[in-house]
Amino acid sequence: MSLKFNPITYQSHKLPSFALPPMANLRSPKFFMASTLRSGYKEVDNPKKPFMPPREVHVQVTHSMPPQKIEIFKSLEDWAENNILTYLKPVEKCWQPHDFLPDPASDGFYEQVKELRERAKEIPDDYFVVLVGDMITEEALPTYQTMLNTLDGVLDETGASLTSWAIWTRAWTAEENRHGDLLNKYLYLSGRVDMRQIEKTVQYLIGSGMDPRTENNPYLGFIYTSFQERATFISHGNTARHAKELGDIKLAQICGNIASDEKRHETAYTKIVEKLFEIDPDGTVLAFADMMRKKISMPAHLMYDGRDDNLFDNFSAVAQKLGVYTARDYADILEFLVNKWRVMEITGLSAEGRKAQDYVCGLAPRIRRLEERAQGRAKQAPKVPFSWIFDREVQL
Amino acid sequence: MASSTGLSLKFSPLSTSFKQNKVLLRGICNVNSVSLPSRGMRLGSLRLRVSCAAKPETVDKVCSIVRKQLALPKDSPVTGESKFSALGADSLDTVEIVMGLEEEFGISVEEESAQHILTVQDAADLIEKLVEQKSA
Repeated sequence: MSLKFNPITYQSHKLPSFALPPMANLRSPKFFMASTLRSGYKEVDNPKKPFMPPREVHVQVTHSMPPQKIEIFKSLEDWAENNILTYLKPVEKCWQPHDFLPDPASDGFYEQVKELRERAKEIPDDYFVVLVGDMITEEALPTYQTMLNTLDGVLDETGASLTSWAIWTRAWTAEENRHGDLLNKYLYLSGRVDMRQIEKTVQYLIGSGMDPRTENNPYLGFIYTSFQERATFISHGNTARHAKELGDIKLAQICGNIASDEKRHETAYTKIVEKLFEIDPDGTVLAFADMMRKKISMPAHLMYDGRDDNLFDNFSAVAQKLGVYTARDYADILEFLVNKWRVMEITGLSAEGRKAQDYVCGLAPRIRRLEERAQGRAKQAPKVPFSWIFDREVQL
Repeated sequence: MASSTGLSLKFSPLSTSFKQNKVLLRGICNVNSVSLPSRGMRLGSLRLRVSCAAKPETVDKVCSIVRKQLALPKDSPVTGESKFSALGADSLDTVEIVMGLEEEFGISVEEESAQHILTVQDAADLIEKLVEQKSA
């Protein structure tokens, strides 16, 4: 869905001048899904500017946290050292991609590769589309490290800063880095996918970046990452389960290990936000409502392969159809966080805070209701080609 | 599309009967704020759509569904011209409003049509069109 409009003046003959998102698609649960969670539109390649990747066109707000709150994070450094860094795994204890791939240094390498490819042949195209989309998301890691380093009070000032926050961010990045590497090598060896198209998509995506609307604000940032880590945990957990059902135990292990990393990261980020709720309940509940109103946009929503203007929407539709990541998951994650952070129990809030509390606590049921409606009315969807699988078609 | 602006003057006020104007003006929910037109009214200030304008009852029903969804106080003005966004509806509210309208009127709103609903009047007009199509 790419509406052409002038991003400078935000004028459109179809929309009010402050670019509201379109009405939800009542036919599909995409409203809360990945794709429709972006707040603006992407503007795709302008023939006059051949090197412009898709980009965010909503107004980018910066530094919305009042500067005095930066102190909060400075004062939490010791706490973070003792409570957050403990969720990092020492490198010596970590799995590496090598552990789950054919070993080139061994005599059995060719046999192992052959076996991998035979197993991969049994796996259908729609699963590969989702796996590829996940891999591309993981490979855009530079964007996520960047995003963490935009957050006031916790950013890594030099790239080698020794604050707990900086140590966390670098180590987190290092752990995540293995995910993209592993999936990349697996897909490369499988022979089932068009690596060149995938590699191009990764290049476009890193070039596009993303703006999850966290506004340099660590309250917003950590709420966002809490949600995201849980989403990836659920998503990789589902691909693992699917792989097992399809008889590929090794692939199931790959996805399962990635999922367990994500779970550990989710626990760390939610713990940070839990602490923020303790110290500044009003500010944190307002931040939570703000992020949910803006909707949690998926990191790869600007993905583009040079051919498909609706690539992300199409990918999300397949992920939804396969049950890997759905609108219901979105609602479940929200509910999980509301319960985890015991938002309903918070007292002593301002009037705005109470409104935010009501909004957040009441949101999951509303989403579920919408999702049920949409499912009940889902029309037969088309089959679309994906360049990632040599333009073979997948049912949406 | 002209209709998406909610404003289109399709007749010359000087040739319209006073009675017809009164009927159309009843389509505005908050009746107290309506002032009856006079023959000397300016073209630019008249905000009526004669062709395919919804019945006042339809507009009223839409207004009440909107009020309920947005929990608006009884005295806050909601008229045919009211834009959903201006009333404080976010995208989720708007979808739920359309769902409420579907239930109330027994219709089914296509996504493409739904995207053009910016005001209460837009919703009412679309509803009447769909209801008419249903019974046709």
